[in-house]
Amino acid sequence: MRCERIEELLSAFLEGELGPEEKALVEGHLESCPDCSSLLGILRRAQQALSGFPEVEVSPSLWGRLVAIPERKNKFSLTLDFFLKPSLQPVFAAGAIFMTLLSFYLFNPDKKAIDRTIDQKIHTGYSQVEKLYSQAGSITDRLGDTANNIIVSVKDWKIFGGNEDNPL
Amino acid sequence: MLVNSYSKRVFNLAYQFAGSYQEAEDLTQDIFLKLYGVLPRYDFDRNFTAWLLTLAKNHLIDTYRRTKWEKSHRDEFDEHFPASEAAHSPESGLMQEADRKLIWEGLNRLSAETRMAVILRDIQDKSYEEVAEIMSLPLGTVKSRINRGRLQLAKILKDRKEDAHEM
Repeated sequence: MRCERIEELLSAFLEGELGPEEKALVEGHLESCPDCSSLLGILRRAQQALSGFPEVEVSPSLWGRLVAIPERKNKFSLTLDFFLKPSLQPVFAAGAIFMTLLSFYLFNPDKKAIDRTIDQKIHTGYSQVEKLYSQAGSITDRLGDTANNIIVSVKDWKIFGGNEDNPL
Repeated sequence: MLVNSYSKRVFNLAYQFAGSYQEAEDLTQDIFLKLYGVLPRYDFDRNFTAWLLTLAKNHLIDTYRRTKWEKSHRDEFDEHFPASEAAHSPESGLMQEADRKLIWEGLNRLSAETRMAVILRDIQDKSYEEVAEIMSLPLGTVKSRINRGRLQLAKILKDRKEDAHEM
């Protein structure tokens, strides 16, 4: 058996996890291969060194920082909870759209042309509104005249004491 | 209290993995910050220690991948580890202490996943099943990674030993 294959089995061999067949194979190879046999010895040493590794203590400063976390977290999460409220999401979406459009306007190289177009549109709109307003005024006058005529005609009806045949 | 029960365990895992005391302190703080954030989502059917160590492992490996600590040196072994009692006993104890120093320096040569698996199994003394659960990997993969890591460390010891003989 090749040394590479034996190396794959050495950990399990040390921990007694190999089946009888594989164990016999490894033992047979180790007897005839000084390199693998030496590697097994070093692997055993490495494992012994790892298993007795000392532990370090947590420093008082780290301890203090860890103990303070829940308090900090609560303060932070209260603020965060407010901003993450679902009811605020349409507001944030509208704000994002507004800011995007604003950035398109502010950073557009043809900003002056856009300003001019906006001015024109505003003036056109304003004059249209004025026209509509004056038209609405003339309609009101005409309606007033019509109403007066109707009232005069109705007053001339006989049932209201008028003279239908000779209104004047 | 979580800090009482788990800070030492998490800190030691972070220190063994990162090799820098200062870095390990910051990493431990980050892990506890994350822990308090995800605590409401803890599934009570799971073993809490394994769940916490999975969280720690993920954070350590993610941070390692982002920052690549392997370029930085590990702290000197004697800097923060207390001298173990074995060091005071004769030859075998001294040899073991020397091996530990070499292994401590050699840990950075292992890939992040292999290093974590070896630390959990051999230093933190977890069973293979626990390591597989913490690392969210199949048992066979964990066993082969640990074997590979141990062999790499053993070869580091062997090379150093040969260097020492040559000198």
